Formats: sequence, structure tokens, C-alpha cells
Amino acid sequence: MRVAVTVAAALLLAQPASAEEVEKSAQADPRGEVVISNVAGEVRVTGWDRNEVHVSADLSDDDQRLEFRTSGARTTIEVMLPKGRSYHGSTDLVVQVPRNSSLTMTTVSADQTIKDVRGMQRLQAVSGMIQTELWNEDLELKNVSGEVSVRGHNGKGAMRVTTVSGGVRLDDVGPEMELNTVTGDMNVRVSELSKARIRTTNGNLELRASKLTDDVRIDAEGINGDLRFRLPRTLDAEIDISTFNGEIDNCFGPEPHKTSEYGPGNALRFKEGNGDGRIRIKALNGTVEICNR
Amino acid sequence: MNEFTRSGRDPLDEALASLPEDVRPERDLWPQIHAEIAKTPIVAQASAVQSTWFRLAAAVLLVLATSFVTYYVTRQSMQQPIAQVTPETVPVPQVSGQPASFSFGAERLGAGYVNARAELDKRFQERIATLPAADRAKIERNLADLRRAADEISATLAKNPSDPLLQDLLMSTYQSELQMLANVSELPTAGSMRTDL
Repeated sequence: MRVAVTVAAALLLAQPASAEEVEKSAQADPRGEVVISNVAGEVRVTGWDRNEVHVSADLSDDDQRLEFRTSGARTTIEVMLPKGRSYHGSTDLVVQVPRNSSLTMTTVSADQTIKDVRGMQRLQAVSGMIQTELWNEDLELKNVSGEVSVRGHNGKGAMRVTTVSGGVRLDDVGPEMELNTVTGDMNVRVSELSKARIRTTNGNLELRASKLTDDVRIDAEGINGDLRFRLPRTLDAEIDISTFNGEIDNCFGPEPHKTSEYGPGNALRFKEGNGDGRIRIKALNGTVEICNR
Repeated sequence: MNEFTRSGRDPLDEALASLPEDVRPERDLWPQIHAEIAKTPIVAQASAVQSTWFRLAAAVLLVLATSFVTYYVTRQSMQQPIAQVTPETVPVPQVSGQPASFSFGAERLGAGYVNARAELDKRFQERIATLPAADRAKIERNLADLRRAADEISATLAKNPSDPLLQDLLMSTYQSELQMLANVSELPTAGSMRTDL
């Protein structure tokens, strides 16, 4: 009996001081802007048909407060924390926004999951995972060490993704992209590619494109990472690849040549079709592979 | 052969001389222009977040642009003497006590670049000090990777000074470093998101 009482008391004490669930909502512009910030926990944002923003917050203790305000076409949702004290709690937010809203989200170590939000997105995190979808509006995404995953719908939205060490996975994204990473690996699959600027220091890249536009521009640079391109069988582009130490593998036919008699460098320049597009790849130590299968 | 008028001058000169020196507009346009200028606000209203964002972006762009110009000017001045020196006057190579990377290090990009980088680095250090230890370690490790890559390219470039691929990759790595410093400096931190309740 004494044991049971002790366990029950321990369970009661283990509950957060006063965990609180808060729900708020307000009318919103169907193409307005929603701004969300949270420090730790999780944020899930979903686009819906209503012209209304609704938030359900799970505040872990009394020290937190949910700020929810609207001003014109902007709705702001912020988790406010006490000033001047170390804080170890977390807050989960579940938010519904009008489907065509634009979204600006800033978190520190909270995961971000966004579904069916079709306006412009600007997402920033330090170490949380970011998972979103890309439609016809642009996406700017910055993450330090969390993973990034974007599922596109073959729309025309351009994207700029910057990570430090987090991996990047992009599927069926739009035709224009700018990708930067230091050590994160990037895996990109796109149905039609028009413009890509890719920079990696130590991370590897694998890019698969089912189709390239006639005026395609690809500019990729790697220092120590490997750069692998899977391109369509028929190309209409001028391809220019140079590496200082790395190998060049080309499935389109022409062989690379040494850039100097004694040095390790390789270069490969050739034209497919009319050569209207431009593909330029530069690498220091990594391998460059350009293949049509 | 040119024809001349009775006065002995070229007819074209005479025609030019007869043109009025000052053409007056049919009406005075200034009051209308002045009114239009007055209607247009000189500074557009912008949110604090947007203006910070743009200021940072503008600062980084300015630094990159300045660095890029300085780099190319430096590169030109490095290449020119090599082209002009005749075999008889080739100086004896001097062995420096400094590592090879110093010959092509970031300081070659000029004082503007070095100062801007130092300023960004200062803000970067202030900002990462507020981040959780694990994130801080990752960022520092990656920055070290970037700087190591720049040193490696710089040292290789010292041995192959005319290699355009190495020059491009070195510039690109310096740009990545600046971009990382700027991005981390503007990162949200738990401290920056707190407020008095």
C-alpha cells in the first residue's frame, strides 16, 4: 500500500508544473503572411480551405506564453519565454493557415513540418529538422545542423537552401535552385531543370533530372565532395568540367584529358546537340560523374 | 571642295552660329516636377525584420563585391610582372618562413575584406556563444572545415599560381565562409526570442 502511494505521488510530481493547452484563432487574409517563432519542441503547419489561422499550443509550463496577434494581412504566433533565466522546456504548436498564405518560420531546436502551404516560405532553424512542400511560390530555407526535406509538386517555385551540416533531400522540386552546404550531403530529384547553382565543401551531391530546358544553366562547385549528375539521354548543352585532383566519369562518350603533363588535374569539354545550355562543374578533390542513365 | 558664303565662312559654321544658344521650354516644368518628388516618399516603410534582413544581405553583398574586385585587381597585378619580367632579370626565389598559404591567403583581398570579415567574425562569435553546446560544436567544426579547405586550396595555389580553377575555388570558398559567418550571425537564439512576461 505504501509503495502504491509513493508511486502515485511520484507520478503526480513528475507532471509538468502546470502544462497548459492553449487554442487561438483569427480571421486571416487568404494570401496573407503568417509568422511563427518557437525555440524548442515541434511546429506543424498545415494549409486549409478556411480564411482563418488557428493555433493549438501545448505549453510545457507556466513560464511560457503564447503571443497571437494579427495586423493587417499578417498573423504572428510566438512562443514567449521568460527573460534572464535558463530554459529547458519545449512547446508544440499545431497551426492551420489559409492554403495560399506565405509563411515565415524561425525556430532554434524545434522541428518544422509544413504541409500544403502554397505561398512563399522562408524557414530558418538551428538544429531542428525541416520538412516542407514546394508549389509555385519560392522557398528560402536555412538550417545549420538539422536535416532538410522538401517534396515538390513539379511546380515552378524557385528555392534557395543553405545548410551547414544537415543533409538535404529534394524531390520533384521546381526548375530553379540554389544550394549551399559545408558538410551535408544533398540528394536532388527534379523532373525539369532550368537553373541550378550548387556549392559544397565536403558534402556529396547526387542530382537526377529527367529533363533539362534548352537554355539550362548548371553551375556546380565542390571542394572535397563528390558531384554526381544523372541527366537525360539527349542533351542540348555545352558541358565544361574541371577537377584539380578528382576523377571525371562521363557516360556521354568523350574522355577527359589531363590538364598538365605532370599534374593530377582533369578536364572535359564537349557539346551535345546544339549546345544551347551550359553545364559547368568545378571540383578540387572530389569525383565528378555525369551520366545519362 | 567646300563652298563658302560671301562672308568667307563655311555655311555649316554659319548655320551653327545662327542656332539659339539656349532653348526655353514652352512652359515652366519645374513646379510639376517638384510636386511629383514631394509626393514620393524617400524612404519606404519596412518592418524591422525586413530591414535587418536587407541590411545584412546588402552588407555581405558589398563585402563580396568589394572582395571580388580587389581579388581581380590583385590577380592582375600579380600576373603582370610575371609577363613583363625577362629571363635575365628573374629574381632568385626567396624562401619565406611563413606557410605557403600566406602567399594566397585572405589578406590578399585587401584591408576592406579583412576588416569586414573580422567584424562578421566578431558577431558570429557573439551569436554562437548563445547557442546550445552541441550546435556550437557543429558550427565550429564546419567553419574549421571551410577554413581548412581554403588553406588547402591556398597552399596548392601557391605551387600553381596561374591555375584558374584553383583561383575560382579559393574565391568561392572565401565567399562560402563569409556567407556562413553572416548566416550564423543572424540565426535565431533562445535568448533573442525571450521577452519579459
